[in-house]
Order: sequence, then structure tokens, then C-alpha cells
Amino acid sequence: MALPTETDMSLEFWRNGPTPGGLYNFPGQGTSTKMGPIKKTLSPMVTGTSVLGVKFDGGIILAADMLGSYGSLARFMHCPRLMKVNDSTVMGAGGDYADFQYIKSVIEQRVIDEECMNDGFQYTPKSLFSWLTRIMYNRRSRFNPLWNTIVVGGLQDGEPFLGYVDKIGTAFKAPSVCSGYGAYIAQPILRNALEKQPNLTEQQAKELIDQCLTVLHYRDARSLNKYQIAIVTKDGARIEGPISSATNWDIAERVGFFDE
Amino acid sequence: MQMDPGLHKGEGYQYGPNPKQHYFSPYSMNGGTVLAIAGEDFAVVASDTRLSEGFSIHTRDSPKTYQLTNSTVLGCTGFHGDVLTVTKLLEARLKMYKNEHNRQMSTSAIAAMLSTVLYYRRFFPYYVYNIIGGLDDEGKGAVYSFDPIGSYEREAYRAGGTASSMLQPLLDNQIGFKNQEGVTKVPLSKEKAVFLVKDVFISAAERDIYTGDNIMIHVTTKDGTETEVFPLRRD
Amino acid sequence: MSIMSYNGAAIMAMTGKDCVAIASDLRFGIQAQTVSMNFQKVFEMGPRLYIGLAGLATDVQTVAQRLKFRINLYELRENRRIKPKTLMSVVSNLLYERRFGPYFTEPVIAGLDPKTGQPFIASLDLIGCPMITEDFVVSGTCSEQMYGMCESLWEPDMSPEVLFEAISQALLNAVDRDAVSGWGAIVHIIEKDKVTTKTLKARMD
Repeated sequence: MALPTETDMSLEFWRNGPTPGGLYNFPGQGTSTKMGPIKKTLSPMVTGTSVLGVKFDGGIILAADMLGSYGSLARFMHCPRLMKVNDSTVMGAGGDYADFQYIKSVIEQRVIDEECMNDGFQYTPKSLFSWLTRIMYNRRSRFNPLWNTIVVGGLQDGEPFLGYVDKIGTAFKAPSVCSGYGAYIAQPILRNALEKQPNLTEQQAKELIDQCLTVLHYRDARSLNKYQIAIVTKDGARIEGPISSATNWDIAERVGFFDE
Repeated sequence: MQMDPGLHKGEGYQYGPNPKQHYFSPYSMNGGTVLAIAGEDFAVVASDTRLSEGFSIHTRDSPKTYQLTNSTVLGCTGFHGDVLTVTKLLEARLKMYKNEHNRQMSTSAIAAMLSTVLYYRRFFPYYVYNIIGGLDDEGKGAVYSFDPIGSYEREAYRAGGTASSMLQPLLDNQIGFKNQEGVTKVPLSKEKAVFLVKDVFISAAERDIYTGDNIMIHVTTKDGTETEVFPLRRD
Repeated sequence: MSIMSYNGAAIMAMTGKDCVAIASDLRFGIQAQTVSMNFQKVFEMGPRLYIGLAGLATDVQTVAQRLKFRINLYELRENRRIKPKTLMSVVSNLLYERRFGPYFTEPVIAGLDPKTGQPFIASLDLIGCPMITEDFVVSGTCSEQMYGMCESLWEPDMSPEVLFEAISQALLNAVDRDAVSGWGAIVHIIEKDKVTTKTLKARMD
């Protein structure tokens, strides 16, 4: 219930007292059940920006910077947003960081549970992707979404795998995937490179991703020049970083704006 | 809603009568066009392969056609999250049917089942446009088209999805012989059907930003389904 | 419901070899109720110059009358026939004068240049943004359907007879998939030495 305001003349008499008709609604007496219905992520709090992913010859690479934004405030400077699931599977997430940490903890527990079965089975990129798609879709159907865009990558039966799923359960596979601003800024760079050379080497993919993150750092205000990459090849999965890319701000002094 | 007691002590710090609610939409429109044509002893089901959201293209390789049985193909567009769910559900139901009855479900039965699957979600609908193409019990070509909440009918041809309004009048003209006087209504051949499909999709790709990249064309006959991929403009 | 589809209309223009065609439906309705089946939406603005106005019927007639007035003034002042392209500028100017309280009508222009006989077609939006094309233009409540038909049926250098068949089929099949346009159609085939006007037999439901 709203408090009476200065302009609300009819309620002026009751300043700082209970509102008429709200006689039993004393401040400070509220319990958590009175605070409203079950809390849901209907807007993200601490957020991560784009996640990038690209296939190369014999593997995949994912990348995400390490900034945890609080609205426009650059709040946390060391938020790892990539996760190694096992030796053939990695994932990365943008959007609400708390929701990512929740998903991460659930997956970690499920990996442990699967390990306890001791039957030799484990998550594959496709099975994790399929499971995540259902989790995301299920949560959106209950109007309680996990506010993330997730990129899953890995190697299954010797084939590179790259998948995307968002907070409403839209999911697809592609040779290159980008979430958030990356879809507008990095994806054209990645698609252009893949059009010219569909089979990149690991080194080329790494350089390409670095180029994309540099451009994103220049143009995405919610980004940070400190990022991690996840690489999956037949030799296993590894997360590297934090890495910073070389930037060039020479152009700044040519902009008249800075002289004034 | 009760005020936060802590904030109440602060001067001039007030919640508005309604806390600012961020908008969450459980749907999005991912675009795409599907098309099905029934012939005398065949059915053609086609779709483009573009998956979009707003002005972005998610992928150029996401066909909206799903081979349900040897003699039935489903075309399914709209919100991709729901498309994935509906097709997964149908595949599960078809598997259960096959395990129980030791035969594949007929095209007409799949259509009837899809109708109930869609209507089950009457008040939180699957945002999907479905068109089923296949052979009926007598081996004749059959097309069933649906609205998102399960209303359906059998037809000779139907276009669905973002460019349906561009394709449908041309199909009326070329297959239904509408507004043509004194023409002999020759039965549609397989070759002409496939040719028409390519022609109308090329036209749709000119004007609809959600249709493009490739067409996936499935031709179903008593011998099974043949699939062809045909390129469209990619801009 | 949008004010642009309050009355319903379908108009298109196409080019051929040394000829152009303009066609419209004939319905005047108030939302779903059909009131008249011989409502004029294409207006003669010169010997080989026509304009079609789709949109709110009251504005269609107002714009047609104000436009005719301005063209009469132009031709008296200049003592020569107006060119199609000049007409387009006059229409654009007329509409943009009402930029913040527009006439709810989107015009289509078809004509031949009075001197050279060159085919010309163009369309404008309701605030006068012009678009000249080489092939076809459409306007009205079933524009998507018309685009689909025109995109498939149009081809370069059609003779007047072929052009008539193409524009007629394009219009008829498009309006049959629209609930608020149709109920008869009229086609003008504009050639250098003659204009042929034909009313088409159409579905009346």
C-alpha cells in the first residue's frame, strides 16, 4: 500500500499514521508472506554481457568477459562466467549472474551424482544442451525464468558441438553463436571469417575470438577487457584466463571532443 | 504491499504505489514459412531454414519440417521454444503409439492428436502454426492445417508462417485455379508442385525478412520421402 | 482497428513495354459491412495519367479533389500537361503539408510521360514519402497478398494484353484473401495512343 504523499490533501491529516482502511497495516509488522508473492527473477540484478562461441577444426572455443554489472555500475570485476562440465563439455552464460551460479551448482551436483553411479556414463554436450533447453523452457512456462542466455560447447563422437539456449527456451545449434551485444557486433565478424574459411585452426579461432572481444570491449559499455576462454579438443577441456586483449586508443586524440 | 520498515525511517524515500515491473514475455516470434501441397498420390511439405529474432538471424540452418513417420511430415513455425516442445511431445506420443499398436500412426490420426495436444494448452497456447502433409489411409496426398489452439481442417494446399499471406493467393491461383475461367483443371504433377514451391518461396524471400537462406522440400510418396535443399537469398 | 483499414481497399500499378496498368477493387465498406460495390478509387489526372488512393474513403475523395485542383492550376500556369513525376511531387507536397495530422491515404501513381511516352509508376506513404519502381507498386489492406502475387506474376517488357492478364490475376487473387477488399475490380491499361478500361468479374463474397 502506498504511503500518503504531500500532494494527496485528503490524506494529509493522517501523515505518518495508518492509512484509512489500512488500520491494521502498521509499519514494521510485516512478515515475509505479507511482502508479496514468491520472488521471481522478473528483472536481472547482477548481469554478465555477451558470450561468444565458435567451432574450429577438431573442437570449439567459448569466451566471456569477467564483468558483473549492477545496472550501469561495473560492480564485480572478477566473475567467471564459463564452466567446465567435464573433459568434453563446457558452457558459458550471460544475463543474471545469480541464476548462472544456481545452474552451475545444479550441474555440478548432477555431475557428482552421475559419477557416483560409476557406470562410465557422463554428460555429453548434446545431452547437457537438451537438458538445459528443457530446464529453461520449463521455468519460462511457470513464469519464473532463469534470466540467462547459455552457450553450450564441446566435442561429441569427434564432432564439434555448439548450442544456444535463452531464457524462454529458444534453442539452436550453429557453427558460431553469440549472445547479447555479441549478436550484433561479434557475430558478423565470426560469420565473415567462417564464410572465407569454414575450417579454422585452433590458433586462428583463438585469434578470431580475441578480435571479437576487442571490438566488443570498444563498443559494449557493459564489457571489461578481462576475459576467459574455454577450449575443447580431443585432448580435453580447459578454461584459460583471465586474458586481456591489446587495445589501441590512438584514435582518441584525433577526436576533437577530447581536446576541449 | 507493505513498506520496507528500514526505508520508512528515511526522509522522502518512498516506493511508488506500484513497484516498477520489468516486462517478461514468455513468447517471441522466430519467423519462417511452411508450405504443404497434396497431390493425387504424393504430398509436398516445404519450409525455409532461417531462424530469426527481431532483426537478427540466429542461424541459417534450422529447417521447420519434421519427419514424423514414413508417410507424414510436419511443418511447424512460430515461437521456436514452443516448436521444439510440440515436436518433442509429438515424437514421444508417436513412439508410445508404435510400442502399443505395433504400427505407425496414420496421417489423419496424427492430425487429430495434434489438435488435442494444442487445445490442451488453450489458455496458455503454444505459439505455433502447424501444417501436416502426408499420405492418407488410401495412399492419397493429404494436407491438414491448424491454428495455434488446435482448430484444423483437411485441405489441398496451405501456406503458414510469416510469409503465408504472400504465398496463399498464388497457390489459390496456380493450384486451385481460382479466378481462371475455362481452364481444364489438370491434376497437379509432382514436378509442377516442386517447381511451384520453389517459385513462391523465391517470391516470399524477396519481401519477407523472416524467410530466406534455404528451402527444405520433402516429397512423400508410397516409396517414402525424398528431401531436396534449394538455396534462397541470404540477405 | 487501424484507420487505414476502416473502409478497405486494394490498388496496384504495373509497368509493361511502352504501357502501364493501374487496377483497384471497387468495395466501399465500413469495417466488415459492405456498403457499395462501385466506389471509385482510381482517378484520372491527365490523358495518360492516373492516381489510385487507398485508405480512409473520406480522405481519398478529399485528396483526389484537392489534387485535381492543384493540377488544374499547374497546367493553366504552365500551359502544358503535367508529367507523372511532377504529379508525384505535387502529391508528396500535398500530403506533407499535413505531416502532423495526415490524410489517411496512400497513393499509387501510374502514367506515361506526355512527351516521351516513358512508363512511370510510383507509390507514396500517407505523409508523402515517394517511391519510384521499375516493376510494380501496391497499396491497400492486402498489400502482403499483392506483393506475393506481383512478385511471382510480373515480368519485364509485357505487352498490353499480357500486362492486363498479369495485373488482373494479381489483384483478383490478392483481394480474395482479404476480408475488406474486393467486390469487383477495375483495370486501366494505359498506352501511348489509348487507355483501355475494363471492369472485372470477381467474387462477390
